[in-house]
Amino acid sequence: MIRTLTGLIIVLILGAVAAAVVPEMQMREELQGVGYSYASRGMDDTGSSNLVTAVIVAYRGLDTLGEVVVLFCASTAVVLILTLYPIGMKASEPSRVVAFTAKVLPAPILLFGVYFIAHSHISPGGGFPGGTVIASVFLLVMLGSSSVPDGKGRLSAIESLAGLSFGLLGFWGIMTVGQFLNNAFLGTGTPGTLVSGGLIPLISIAIGAKVASEFSGVFKAFRNTGGTV
Amino acid sequence: MTVIVVTLGGMMVAAAIAVLFVRDLLSAIIITGFVSLSASVMFLLMDAPDVAITEASIGAVLATMIFLWGRGKIGEDR
Repeated sequence: MIRTLTGLIIVLILGAVAAAVVPEMQMREELQGVGYSYASRGMDDTGSSNLVTAVIVAYRGLDTLGEVVVLFCASTAVVLILTLYPIGMKASEPSRVVAFTAKVLPAPILLFGVYFIAHSHISPGGGFPGGTVIASVFLLVMLGSSSVPDGKGRLSAIESLAGLSFGLLGFWGIMTVGQFLNNAFLGTGTPGTLVSGGLIPLISIAIGAKVASEFSGVFKAFRNTGGTV
Repeated sequence: MTVIVVTLGGMMVAAAIAVLFVRDLLSAIIITGFVSLSASVMFLLMDAPDVAITEASIGAVLATMIFLWGRGKIGEDR
């Protein structure tokens, strides 16, 4: 009861804060400052017709690298704790509905995830959501079988390789034009085509592989009773 | 447009408050997932498809699944 009341009070306080702040918010008709610069020059600078990805991967690529490191630390901690203290949840036999779904749906969902990653510079999507979609395929397959798959360390290998290639792509810029994570030294191509956007597609693939393997590792650790990820 | 946003927002607030009061942990998890899914639709209505995709895949699917497994691990005794 006290817990419920505490939660309710927190919700009310947050609601009061939101009610006080939201009316003060003004929708600007025009972009200003950095936002204007990104929106007006983004497509020419990066060759990416999806400006969100252009900002995340090209303009603020260093922040994304930091974000990837944070995600790596978090997933490592989760996997470590769950490996050290396995709670040993038994994987029960899936029902017929779940087993059938886990046979039919993975292929289209996997394709969808790959599409998100490969078209991150053209249409909405990107490495992070694409990676999580692929990880959900792993989850679905795992739900459809009563045994825990043995990764034999391959997930960790993919994760490390993807992280490493993100860094190496950054250093490629240093070697060629003297700027870390420079996006445009390969040429940016025609915006809207598959081969465009400079390094954005390559970095998206690296991020997607990393996120997918990390989340898959976390899911596996949740089901695991020991062994390598 | 405004009608949809207000309706959806109202449902989200009602669901978020309901999470506090349901007895059953499973119901609470499912309602949390519903709030995430509504948030994703809201982002889509506000022309932010990138955020909507991320919210739908992480907030509505992966987080709900991790909650469900956590519930499976701690059992029903809260």
